[in-house]
Amino acid sequence: MSNPLADMEKPDVIFCIGTNMTECHPVAATRLKRALARGAKMIVADPRQIGLSDLADIYLPIRVGSDVALLLAMAHVIERDNLTDPDFMAARTVGGEQFLQHVRQFPPEWAERITGVPAKDIEAAALLYGNAERGAIYYTLGVTEHICGVENVQSICNLALMTGNVGREGTGINPMRGQNNVQGAGDSGALPNNYPGFQPVTDPQFQNKFRQLWGTTVDIEKGMTKVTALGRAGDQIRAMLIDGENTLITDADRHHCEQALKSLDHLVVIDIFLTDTAQLADVVFPATAWGETDGACTNTERRVQRLRAAVPPSGEAKPDWWIVCELAKRLGFDGFDFDSPNQIFNELCDVSATYHGLDWDRIEHGAYQWPVPEKGHPGTPRLHEKEFPNGRGVFKIIEYRDPAETVSAEFPLWLTTGRRLQSYHSRTQTGRSRGIDFLLPEEVLEVHPEDLERWGLRDGGWCRVTSPRGSVEIKVKATRRSPRGTVFASFSFSNVPVNVLTGSGYDPITETAEVKVSVVRIEPCDSSSITV
Amino acid sequence: MIMSNPDRKLQKMVIDGVEIDYTPGETIYQIADRSGKHIPTLCNDPRLEPFGGCRLCVVEVDGSSNPVASCTTKATPGMVVRTNTDCLEEYRRVLLELLVSENREIDVDTLRGYASQEFAELVDRYDARSGRFVGVRSGRSRTDDDNPFILRDYDLCISCYRCVRVCAEREGDYAISVMNRGFRTQITTEFEGLLADSACTFCGQCIQTCPTGALADRKAISAAELQGAVEKTRTVCPYCGVGCSVDILTKGDTIVGVHPAMDGPANLGALCVKGQFAFDFVQHQDRLSAPLVRGEDGELHETDWDTALDRAAAGFSDVVANHGRHSVYAVASGRAPNEAAYILQKFMRAGWGTNHIDNCSRA
Amino acid sequence: MAVATDRELLERWRSEPAPLLPLLHAFHERDGFVTEDALRAISRGLRTPLADLFGTVTFYHHLAREPGGAGAARVCTGLICRLNGAVELLERMRAEGAKAMPCSGGCDDPVHVLVGDDVLVGTAAGTLERRPALLPPLNPGDSRECVFSHIRTDDRARIDVYEDTGGYEALKNAVRDLTPQQVIEIIAASGLNGRGGAGFHTGTKWKLVAEAPGEPKTIVCNADEGEPGCFKDRVVMDYDPHAVIEGMALAAYATGATRGFIYLRYEYPRALVILENAIAEARQAGYLGESVLGTGSRFEIYVRRGAGAYICGEEGALLNSLEGRHPFPRNRPPFPVTRGYENKPTVVNNVETLAAAAHIVRNGADWYQSLGIGHHAGTKIVSLSGDIQRPGNYEVPLGFPLRTLLDDWAGGARPRRAIQAVTMAGLSGGFLVGSHLDITLDEPSLRSRGLFLGAGGIMVFDDSRDMIEMAHAAMEFFVAESCGKCFPCRIGTQRLEERLAGRAGPSDLGPWLDEVNDIGRTMKAISACGLGTAAPLISESLVKYFPEQVERHVRRSRDETATLKR
Repeated sequence: MSNPLADMEKPDVIFCIGTNMTECHPVAATRLKRALARGAKMIVADPRQIGLSDLADIYLPIRVGSDVALLLAMAHVIERDNLTDPDFMAARTVGGEQFLQHVRQFPPEWAERITGVPAKDIEAAALLYGNAERGAIYYTLGVTEHICGVENVQSICNLALMTGNVGREGTGINPMRGQNNVQGAGDSGALPNNYPGFQPVTDPQFQNKFRQLWGTTVDIEKGMTKVTALGRAGDQIRAMLIDGENTLITDADRHHCEQALKSLDHLVVIDIFLTDTAQLADVVFPATAWGETDGACTNTERRVQRLRAAVPPSGEAKPDWWIVCELAKRLGFDGFDFDSPNQIFNELCDVSATYHGLDWDRIEHGAYQWPVPEKGHPGTPRLHEKEFPNGRGVFKIIEYRDPAETVSAEFPLWLTTGRRLQSYHSRTQTGRSRGIDFLLPEEVLEVHPEDLERWGLRDGGWCRVTSPRGSVEIKVKATRRSPRGTVFASFSFSNVPVNVLTGSGYDPITETAEVKVSVVRIEPCDSSSITV
Repeated sequence: MIMSNPDRKLQKMVIDGVEIDYTPGETIYQIADRSGKHIPTLCNDPRLEPFGGCRLCVVEVDGSSNPVASCTTKATPGMVVRTNTDCLEEYRRVLLELLVSENREIDVDTLRGYASQEFAELVDRYDARSGRFVGVRSGRSRTDDDNPFILRDYDLCISCYRCVRVCAEREGDYAISVMNRGFRTQITTEFEGLLADSACTFCGQCIQTCPTGALADRKAISAAELQGAVEKTRTVCPYCGVGCSVDILTKGDTIVGVHPAMDGPANLGALCVKGQFAFDFVQHQDRLSAPLVRGEDGELHETDWDTALDRAAAGFSDVVANHGRHSVYAVASGRAPNEAAYILQKFMRAGWGTNHIDNCSRA
Repeated sequence: MAVATDRELLERWRSEPAPLLPLLHAFHERDGFVTEDALRAISRGLRTPLADLFGTVTFYHHLAREPGGAGAARVCTGLICRLNGAVELLERMRAEGAKAMPCSGGCDDPVHVLVGDDVLVGTAAGTLERRPALLPPLNPGDSRECVFSHIRTDDRARIDVYEDTGGYEALKNAVRDLTPQQVIEIIAASGLNGRGGAGFHTGTKWKLVAEAPGEPKTIVCNADEGEPGCFKDRVVMDYDPHAVIEGMALAAYATGATRGFIYLRYEYPRALVILENAIAEARQAGYLGESVLGTGSRFEIYVRRGAGAYICGEEGALLNSLEGRHPFPRNRPPFPVTRGYENKPTVVNNVETLAAAAHIVRNGADWYQSLGIGHHAGTKIVSLSGDIQRPGNYEVPLGFPLRTLLDDWAGGARPRRAIQAVTMAGLSGGFLVGSHLDITLDEPSLRSRGLFLGAGGIMVFDDSRDMIEMAHAAMEFFVAESCGKCFPCRIGTQRLEERLAGRAGPSDLGPWLDEVNDIGRTMKAISACGLGTAAPLISESLVKYFPEQVERHVRRSRDETATLKR
């Protein structure tokens, strides 16, 4: 997030796109609700009529995968009606002229044909955001999990840059991170292209830095993304160490993923449960869980906070870092003689530019948001206040393109996937917490009530959903939360492995799978075949 | 960093004979509270808008014929306030005696909720269990609500509306409200239904603000019989990326519940159903408790750490020996601490000399 | 006529300000009760949380939640109607679904019964009669009147008749010849104080609103005349509605307000029709509308009918009710003059105050000043009811002796009876007896004795009445009307009622008195609004003036409990 969570109470106009925040980030959503109670207006763009859309002033039910068209048309209206911030554009950005020229081709009427949203509503949304004194955009995986995920994000940036809604209180471009420490994992260097603190591995300056720090040779090429690695498993990639990820359930295209992991010569998994993924491993290490582990983590607003152990480990479970250090020592690697997480965290801070001013003691109260370039620095709750990392904000020329798959006679429905409030990811945790089943006992396929008859379905009955990659059987729930022609399910339940269906394509830059768009057909199936 | 507003010059007032500086806009209660006065209150939760319902926080103000509620009254320059005269203390005692008279008498377990002891503590402080003011009792417990999280023991309710207000003002769910009026007031949901059929998201905020334990954490109180004192450990919620601060509640080596951290920088005391209630996976019987290695029979078998570590290390060594350092790959967890991710990337980069590392952000 | 659909009702009312109450009434009348579906439709239509809406509906007495409840007869069981057989009448009518309602402002002609929008007069014998509302009795003295000066003119509610006796001259003159500041100065100089009970200086209130930042500004006419024993606003609205409208239009001109509400208590359906007709006439004539008298300034008046809640006469609760919120009183400050309806500057004035304002602007501040006795300015309407020969509304000059009003103007007690006690301020001033009746009706005189005139309701009880019973009935009213926001009132009214009923409490007089006095003292000192501070005046004055009756009551309660236990 460019702006702190506290800023969520401060915009005049909130634009949420591809984020089911009341279910996926409920506590962040409470801040938006307070802004609304204070009089802020909200635009929500989402194919599904999610909880946020009930609170919205303008709800834009876009067709799955049509975000770029919507955002181009909004930019068109903002340019047409002179709602841009020319001072900001002149002082802080480059490429604005070409961008404004570019968007003149994309009136709301053009976008209506692609998104299915009435042109007047697109127009109203653009005027609302364009006229905002403080406009803030929030998005989540509904924007990024597409073949055009990067283009979606860039289109959002264009909108914020043209209106100067960056670097000020109550504005910003705010992706919400989905997992408790997915931000921290990237910060700490668990990325194929960056050392800790986002220092590029391809930059000789940083190669030298780490060569000296570690006293070893370093790889000067970018590594593979996980998606590529899974694609090359059994071929170039022969061994994997997976820490705390149930890849099989959470990744797109389960069949492909399962084949990939099975084709490895050696698979080691560190986890707290024997997950579906761990069951394929050659060695499984029991890790200490939340509540048993001391450490640091970093949240969606870049705030670095302490995790503390409250109870002793389960059985012989050990912290993840200890396990990897022991492996390293057995392999004869130097630099893994750590006794405690604070030594490791302090080393991370030493080598990282973003955490450089932090150490274990300083994060005691969670008061810092990175970048904290040196000791004594107060941290940076709000990014880009004076300048962008590379100087100026760059407008990108983006064109709309269709998703990897589009509906056809064979696969006439759109499938989109996501999370639900009560379950988390593959339910390894929520599925083992008393009471959660009371709220959400099973997964269902959400179908618009008026679509039931067409596909011969019954509310509460079972159906088989088939995509070009596979089939799953799932219970049907009629709800107007789904638009006609689009169905929804979460990927949380291992007995309904929805990711068998997904994986139609990948963003060429991030290699993130387009799990938000698949095409499927649905047909009723005999419930007796299910209830064995 | 707190910005100082030049228009907001400090002013002076007097509380219990002592001159105190204040910032215009502060209420008498806020000023007294930060000056170490323990003005009693039951309807006040610092996270909520002042309500002025319980009237326990009344104070005497020079020039005002009746005492005023300190929580809703803003200080004015030169104001002279008394917080604990005999007269005020007598009103407070009578009020507490009246409250005692409308409720069933129980010992409220601390596991009922974060604020659950507030009423009991005041009753003790004012020795208000006098048996006076006997009459009918108020509130009707919802024993029919079988949800697994929130006990609705309204026999203990004192109609402070903190639950209703926290649901509206902090959570924005507006799931509960006030039914009827006067002594027949009842906290309810739409059409007097069950929480599961209402707009309730089971975030648990109502439990944590309830000053009597009328709303209680069902999961936590199932551990009421467990021996030992309740200890708190401050940490961060293990679910989404918002990073809510929580206190894990333990008795001995058992996790018995979670409290939101009211001063948590990301959440300011808020939580959702997962952070509040989905904590017991940690001590679930399915937890892995020993390393596993795949045996000759193709199955995973428990073993000791040395065996497992040797086996894992040998597997990597063999692969690298045969296929080179770029044939190994690591996936870091988006769920484990920074140290895990740092060590794992160091393992790949400094150990093997490859950048083949990623985390689960692409899923 | 086809029954209106949900959508039509929502469309009809969403275009107006303060739509919740009229929407609830529309669904209530259409369906015969407030259905769950109606609440769901309103919740969606107004984007109001369903639980809030449900809770708020349960707050009001008159919104029925079971089929047929909307049309059920409602029998007033207020103190005066009880003296006239209301309880017996209610029992007779229960089989047809009749329900009790607290004092409904018909004390001059009991028993007050509502059947739908019909206002009837009932008797203990079960007869119901439709008869016109009573005009104020002719003023027996030679004192000059203000608000009632033309009210007895036939068809005064018609705009042409109103205009024939100088009506709307004040507004026309003001708009033509006076600046808004000058209007405020006249009202201020007249010494007019609020006639709803609080007695705040009206000119000052208007000035504060005129000067307060924030638009649009609002004039609210508080016509929620809920105080038991008060029915003076009803007669003004029934017979002189244009005076209220003119007063509101003057207030709007003086303050710059562009919208007005008349918040009318549910129990006055006749006034509802009369006011709506009068507003339509006034709009037609250009006194209201987009451009008042061609000035280009807008002023619209909307009537909003309450749904049965005494507390909505408290201005904060009234504003919350108008806004569709739970009608708890608001914390003060801020006061409505700066943050009233929708948090914008708002005048909240009583019906009588606004009607008087029209006369004052027409006749001048000096004229109004001169109506009072001595240095007391103006007049006050007193609603007199109970055990008195000629009950009704009397406009008395301020400074007028209470004895003269009771004995000379109203004819004194019934034959062979003597006045045992009277109430002051409806029920909110407690009981008054004996030599304490030798007072003059003006705030300084009353205040010096710890009394107040309030809205001007005086109920009379003669020596045939059991004062414990009267006090208990009064406390039942406060129990039923306590909103539940503040602890002392919510629990205190209940505990006092139980003790006055003899159902609970110590069996010995000393502890009994300790409890009653402790509750009373606490409620008086620290309750959040006037209801809680006023209710214990009943028990306090009872204990003070009727110690023998109290002692007998405590002994009898003990004996009865003992009998029960045996």
